[in-house]
Amino acid sequence: MKTLFKLFFLFAAVIIFSSCATSGPKYVELYSSIPVVPDTGRIFLYRESSLGAAIQPDVKINGEVVGSSIPYGFFYVNRSPGAYEIMTSTEVDRKLSLTLDKGQTRFVRLNISMGFFAGHVYPELVDQAIGEKEIQECRYTGK
Amino acid sequence: MNAFKSLCALLIFHMFFTSCAFDLLHVKQLPTHLDTTQQRKNSLMLEEDEKIDLGTGYSRVIKAGTKWDYVGTIENGDVFNTKDQVLTVEASNIHEAYIVISSGKLVGFYLPVEKTFSPLSVSKELKFKEVSINQ
Repeated sequence: MKTLFKLFFLFAAVIIFSSCATSGPKYVELYSSIPVVPDTGRIFLYRESSLGAAIQPDVKINGEVVGSSIPYGFFYVNRSPGAYEIMTSTEVDRKLSLTLDKGQTRFVRLNISMGFFAGHVYPELVDQAIGEKEIQECRYTGK
Repeated sequence: MNAFKSLCALLIFHMFFTSCAFDLLHVKQLPTHLDTTQQRKNSLMLEEDEKIDLGTGYSRVIKAGTKWDYVGTIENGDVFNTKDQVLTVEASNIHEAYIVISSGKLVGFYLPVEKTFSPLSVSKELKFKEVSINQ
């Protein structure tokens, strides 16, 4: 039984510390200094919850890894106008398809849902007003 | 002990069936062609919130006051898009969507990335007014 408790506390510690590992500047601190790239649109991806913090899958856009789904973290990509598929993989693949126009900014929230052995992270396109509000306290995890 | 076994069985049963649902739900999609050469049509302004049952276990609300601009026509109706709200359809995956209107009713969605038509099982009458394309 003691071993079980130790395992539980170890698991809890991993969750707590992994969720605290997001240490970049906050969106509100960084936003004004992000340069505009001509002839592109921008996609912000963020995770505003620590639920399932140990699950941090890569995020792919059209098959290319562009970042990780880190609790309370955000990153962004600039892309040419066109059609994009954003995918996260845990037990299963979860996909979001969206279009991007020149000069357009889109917000994609990385949510977590229940899975069989582990939670699933799935990308969801949200209204700009909601995205801008939710991302405020998230910290930059891009490179 | 029996109660424990029953609980375990119930948990496994629940997890099995909820996990089975993860990848079984798909948005129905039919191939289509978007004709953008037609004469432009007036935009539509929705007068009331409309809750749309997608038939996948998910629903969406199209908000009152949103202005929908004509994009083109497919064989199922006229396609309109808006900048006033995000609209997606959802099953296991999520797809950005435009509305498809025929005879004043919402008959389904045009998926601009997949270039397909996703029909509603029951079309829904929408309360909207036409807005001149110059407005």
